[in-house]
Amino acid sequence: MNVEKLRKDFPVLNKDLIYLDSACMTLRPRQVIDKIIEYYTEYPACGERSYHKLSRRTAEEFENARILIKKFINCKKDGEVVFTKNATEAINLVANSFEFSKMAITDREHNSNLLPWHKFKHFIVKSNEDETFDMNAFQDTIKKVDLISFVFTSNLDGYTLPVKEIIKVAHENDVVVMLDGAQAVPHKKIDVSKLDVDLMAFSGHKMLGPSGTGCLYGKRHILDKMKTFIIGGDTVNNTTYDKFELKEAPYKFEAGLQNYAGVIGLGAAVKYLTPIIGDIESHEEKLWKYMRDNLDVEMVGVDQASGIFSFNIPKMTSHEIAQMLDSSANIAIRSGMHCVHSWFNSRKLSGSARASFYLYNTMDEAKRFVEEVKKIIELR
Amino acid sequence: MICLIALIVFGILAIFSASHRPLFKEALDCVGRRLTFRPCESKLDERLKSKITGVLLKRNKYAARFVYKRFEIISWIFLILMIGSIFFSAQAGYYYARYGNCNGPDDDGFCIFDPLGTAHEPGCEIDNPDYNPEDVTLPVVYDDAVSFGDENAKVTVIEAGCFECDYTRQAVPVVKKILEVYGDQIRFVYMDFPIKSHESATKLAEAAHCAHEQDKFWDYYYVLFENQEKTSNEELIQHAEDLSLNIEQFTFCLESEKYKSVIDRDFNNGVKAGIYGTPTFFVNEHVLVGPKDFNEFKVLIEQELNQ
Repeated sequence: MNVEKLRKDFPVLNKDLIYLDSACMTLRPRQVIDKIIEYYTEYPACGERSYHKLSRRTAEEFENARILIKKFINCKKDGEVVFTKNATEAINLVANSFEFSKMAITDREHNSNLLPWHKFKHFIVKSNEDETFDMNAFQDTIKKVDLISFVFTSNLDGYTLPVKEIIKVAHENDVVVMLDGAQAVPHKKIDVSKLDVDLMAFSGHKMLGPSGTGCLYGKRHILDKMKTFIIGGDTVNNTTYDKFELKEAPYKFEAGLQNYAGVIGLGAAVKYLTPIIGDIESHEEKLWKYMRDNLDVEMVGVDQASGIFSFNIPKMTSHEIAQMLDSSANIAIRSGMHCVHSWFNSRKLSGSARASFYLYNTMDEAKRFVEEVKKIIELR
Repeated sequence: MICLIALIVFGILAIFSASHRPLFKEALDCVGRRLTFRPCESKLDERLKSKITGVLLKRNKYAARFVYKRFEIISWIFLILMIGSIFFSAQAGYYYARYGNCNGPDDDGFCIFDPLGTAHEPGCEIDNPDYNPEDVTLPVVYDDAVSFGDENAKVTVIEAGCFECDYTRQAVPVVKKILEVYGDQIRFVYMDFPIKSHESATKLAEAAHCAHEQDKFWDYYYVLFENQEKTSNEELIQHAEDLSLNIEQFTFCLESEKYKSVIDRDFNNGVKAGIYGTPTFFVNEHVLVGPKDFNEFKVLIEQELNQ
């Protein structure tokens, strides 16, 4: 992966900017921006609904994006990729459509994978003292539930759960597994068939795609059994005043006019990522290791190389660190609780400063970051 | 304390800029919370502190460290300076409204509201290096003075002016306003003080007296100042014609220099009283030299009326 070459595709990187907030939102390459412009300038129409050429082109590009995503995560069957507006909506779709009695989540879930389950009977699988996944606690819990919805890679520290083992144990207990893949799918090659995961949510804006795009992957037989959540235009084949005939998955879940520009742009993002996806994780880990070796800071969460460097400086708040980096060196990072309030509150932490990497970050940027953080440490 | 400074600064900026209004609201919320011993939820204080430190860090890490470690004290200092500055600005505004200058009565220091110092223009001065403003005393008011209003009024305003003086011209709107507002409560006396270096000043004064003879002093007074460059006999007669005066009488009066001796007497009377330039005003015994703001007269006139 030639990072310097890739960086030229990102217009915003022409500015004097070090962008280390990709866990929140990634930058977009020219190819994605151009694809969105192409939709609006060449075929800005409804997909499927009309017989004219523009409509056919829109439908073709829209479904082409679905095929690209299907290949990207290696799902075998058609109809297993549902478009949503983000991972949050995908999780809410499952929470409101999948029938289960009790479920479990981990203690490090993003609010998106916590709040939808509040109204249901749910168990929390607590982490080990070193914040890694507690397999024993999980094995105790799995017997009590019929659904688990776990984060794949955590947005608070970049820690990736042992999902393969988790899925194996869950399936041995006839438990359906859903993964929140928002921080995993953009950074490593995910093969849903090999993983044998049942459901997985992820967002487009964290993988070079437009904001307002996301996906739910689901095994076909599960999606077929799921009820609908939002219904309306395009979810049905036919209606009378008191009955309707639903379409098959995924269409029965995609109600109303779709975000054509966004989904088509997401297709372009996936096309961009496909040849390099295997190289991203190791690149990010190199940056993490450099920072870890050169900074004397308090690490937050699991102290393990990943795409997220989450830390605190004693006697300073995370917001102060983030604001100073922005003002002094135009380095963009995130601060606070990163929508994982439950985890931070339970550990009595007010938050963390979070530098998150992606394919366009360089070792020079990591060095500059280290220099600036050192200066901030000296302020105390 | 930075929130309090932010409240004032953003409050002022918010008047002109919509983008500063949310910041003002944040600062207001922050101040409210701090006053009730609760932490500032919006973290505005933290953001300002780190933003300022960050900007300094880019330039000098020692300065950044100094500010970061003593931010609360520095904020207090700035707050005190700011309160002081607001107090003095308000006081200057009050003085300006009341006396026409920022520094209070009898002070001619720099005033931001009057940066050119027009309120302290000395006026047109006579060639007398020994003058002293403090030596100016009330001149004698002769029986034949150009006078309006009740002779027994509690307040007499005297204007010693020169019709060719630009500063006297600048004072015309104020004179007009004084007459409009206080005309029925005061006596107003116009006293000639033609500056000798102004070649036509005496002739213009004579023309005004000739108009006064026909009860058209103020009309002629305003016309002279509106047409200050017109100083020939023909032009002065034309003014009289425009004001429908008896031209024969006016022309004879002007050409015979009927009032020259009166004008010379008034000038010498003024010099004796220490007058050194025009316009010089007297509000009873209070002296105002140069074109002044109406408010300065208002204060003095009302003070004298109420005594």
